[in-house]
Amino acid sequence: MGPGGVIRVITETEWIQQARSGDHVAFGRLVQAYQTPVYNLTYRMLGNAAEAEEAAQEAFLRAYTHLRSYDPQRPFRSWLMAIASHYCIDQLRRRRLTWLSFEDEIAVPENPVEGGLVQLASDLPNPESVVTQQERAVQIQTLLSTLSPVDRAAVTLLYWYDYSYEEIAETLDLTVSAVKSRLYRARRDLAKLLEEDGENGLQTSD
Amino acid sequence: MDCKQATEMMVARLDGHLDDGSTVLLEAHIGACCSCQAEWRSLQRLDDLLTTAPMVRSPVRLRVQVMTRLQRREQARRAIVGSTTLALGTITLMLLLLAPVLLDLLRMVGIAPTLLSAGPETVVQLLALMRTMGRALLVLLETFVTPLAALSLCSLALALALSRLWTGAVSRLRTES
Ligand SMILES: [Zn+2]
Repeated sequence: MGPGGVIRVITETEWIQQARSGDHVAFGRLVQAYQTPVYNLTYRMLGNAAEAEEAAQEAFLRAYTHLRSYDPQRPFRSWLMAIASHYCIDQLRRRRLTWLSFEDEIAVPENPVEGGLVQLASDLPNPESVVTQQERAVQIQTLLSTLSPVDRAAVTLLYWYDYSYEEIAETLDLTVSAVKSRLYRARRDLAKLLEEDGENGLQTSD
Repeated sequence: MDCKQATEMMVARLDGHLDDGSTVLLEAHIGACCSCQAEWRSLQRLDDLLTTAPMVRSPVRLRVQVMTRLQRREQARRAIVGSTTLALGTITLMLLLLAPVLLDLLRMVGIAPTLLSAGPETVVQLLALMRTMGRALLVLLETFVTPLAALSLCSLALALALSRLWTGAVSRLRTES
């Protein structure tokens, strides 16, 4: 960790302390610092911008409410990610109960226009590669949507947050061997799906 | 090594958990087994797709939205705490106001001696009342801007004024009789 990292940790600890004693401004700084990691997680989990935004807000509100139970020995980011993951898993389970008959409709994810793709566009002058990027984004969300809520969280934490099996286990309240087998099965199934749909990408049911 | 074991090793390799010896074994199997070769290709393709996917950036408005919801929630909480404290305060006040009458009623029933001897308890009751009132005032001051709070404050002041008049009247009556 460089000096910048140390300074960041110190200010973050201060923000957490201040937020704990009811300082909204300090908590706002924490939200600002972590909004993208939290939003990316809720987006990957829920598959659409509106729900992802709502879930990210809810995750932060829950974090604020439970700030007293946060153990400063643990990275704040991990703690926050655990809250967001569990909230999304609950939402997906609830959704499954409510929308059982509309599964086909919710299986179609939308483009994350709000997200990194717009930014990527500037790096890619060729509009066709932008389209490819967007297609890939849809493909990823379609693949993720076939997974169970917990598997979806595990895959997301592995690929976008570089979590170790141990960290995933801790975040999702699973054993390390359970994480290992979930990640194994999930990727075997996803690879099969990807293969079945060929080089042209997955066909979403319109 | 069977194909299931091979797939497990492929996944371990993607995550960088496969030692050199096992990697050699896996590569030998992939070289000799067509279905595992295809599986390895598709697993790599999936891994590549997920590894290269960028984080989706949060909308900028998220922070403001969280702050707004936080404020609204705290306001609602304060209003609930405030009104509860006020209600408790009012009940205590009512009990105190009724105390002289209650005493007379109880004296008629015949258990007055036990209550009359409880002088210190009245002091305790008064202290509790003052504490509750203090808390109610603090909470009300915090939510001073809302008309509800102003209204509550007015009613509280009214209740206090009435109580003073009432206790005054009662004590005057007592000394006269
Ligand atoms: Zn094989």
